[in-house]
Amino acid sequence: MSDPTKGGAYGTPAGDTDFRKTWDLEEYAARGKEREAKEREESKARYEAKLAGRKYHIPLTGNESLASARRTALDVSSQVGKTQLVPAGAGQGRRGRGAGFYCEACDLTYKDNKQFVEHMNSPQHLAATGQKMEVERASAGEVRARVEYWWEQRLELEREQAVSLQERLELRREENEREAAEKRRKRREVEERKRAEREAAEKVKTEYGEDVRIEGEHDEDDMMASLGFTGFGTSKNKT
Amino acid sequence: MKSGRTVYANESRFLDERGTASELAPNGENPAKIMEKAVIGRIVDSQFYQYQCFALNEAGIVDRVVNDVHFIGGTYGAAQKPTPFLCLAFKLLQLAPADDVLEVYLGHGGERFKYLRALACFYIRMTRRPADVYRLLEPYLADRRKLRRKTRQGTSLTYMDEFVDDLLTKTRVCATSFRELPRRTDLVDLGELEERESPLGDIDELLEEEDERDQAEEEARQANGDDERSEGEIDGGRDGDGGEDRMDVDRRSRSRSRSPGRRERGETPDRSKS
Repeated sequence: MSDPTKGGAYGTPAGDTDFRKTWDLEEYAARGKEREAKEREESKARYEAKLAGRKYHIPLTGNESLASARRTALDVSSQVGKTQLVPAGAGQGRRGRGAGFYCEACDLTYKDNKQFVEHMNSPQHLAATGQKMEVERASAGEVRARVEYWWEQRLELEREQAVSLQERLELRREENEREAAEKRRKRREVEERKRAEREAAEKVKTEYGEDVRIEGEHDEDDMMASLGFTGFGTSKNKT
Repeated sequence: MKSGRTVYANESRFLDERGTASELAPNGENPAKIMEKAVIGRIVDSQFYQYQCFALNEAGIVDRVVNDVHFIGGTYGAAQKPTPFLCLAFKLLQLAPADDVLEVYLGHGGERFKYLRALACFYIRMTRRPADVYRLLEPYLADRRKLRRKTRQGTSLTYMDEFVDDLLTKTRVCATSFRELPRRTDLVDLGELEERESPLGDIDELLEEEDERDQAEEEARQANGDDERSEGEIDGGRDGDGGEDRMDVDRRSRSRSRSPGRRERGETPDRSKS
């Protein structure tokens, strides 16, 4: 909260605190006042509702959409065997992100899927995600269109699956060829590597660093190497 | 039918007993009381209902049936888990879809997705007036598609026509008790329904044909005339069968004079012919 225009505690302006954030005090005071007014209003509404024996509901904003059905199933089993790192003290009770099922919209964590699903269906969650507790009805035409859609999907699937014998044989042949090519490639790689290793070993045998040379000892080897062979004896093991 | 453009996303208002806002079903029952309380409790607690059936509308029902309903039944397993079929039936009770929507479920959707038709049939049996139940469900006694049924004991095979027949004749199907339907003949007498025409044809003609065939066989056998002792037993057996047949025929014709519709209905789920 240092203000560079004002002086420091000892009269001299503190020049080394420029990096600190300068807060707009008036703006934050206004915001605080607004929040407090809103809270007071809400608590008053709650109190009045309680006196009248009703339950208090946060008023709708008018931008809510109607609820829609879920397309997917909740996949709990995909989390089995996985480890999550959770910062210590991240969640206070249900509030905040902790270990378990976390709801982004409401910033709540639930310990099991049953509670979590119950929360997903609750009016609180729907309000937080901007949905109403109501669903639009479908007309007979829409139902018919949906039936058509699924029927098309099923036909598509069947068409994909139904492949003739010729096509299946062709597919199998291609697959075999691909496998053979892969095997060949691997074999060649292994051979190449072995050959490279062997050559490296040969080089070590014939090339000696200057520091290990003893005068006159390797002259013969060098000469033979320059002539193209490395030693006497059988040539079986040589490449 | 509930009027209005929207419907509440969960069941809390539907099950609220302090003067429910939902209207009565066409057959005069409170839709919140049609299923048994214990079963409703299980449905409302089930994971499928809570997550997948939240905020469904009539079109969403189709999504769920296509993707999640693979068998019919009430509650299954030792834990008496409610089936997705039953959960969606409960959701339909809340939604109270209009007649034209039900028509799509039964006809257009039912042709393509058999469980959609089964669900709609079940819902119609729960909520519609008896004459409508007969009128709407009887055409599907000719639907011979297979259905999987899960019970507490395990999974079994059934057929659409069997299921519809159960709905028309039994009072407890899929963990739900129905009010008993009045007899079809009574409704015909009251003039609420037309007399039913069996897809097998007219019962009198069928019986006559059977009689003629029996007589022809008899004559052929007598014409042969060279029955040996060894064949006597078989013959006797056949005679017994014939006798039984005839008794059966008698019984049928007698019962027909009393209640033709019921008898015919009982006969229709006959798959041995196809």
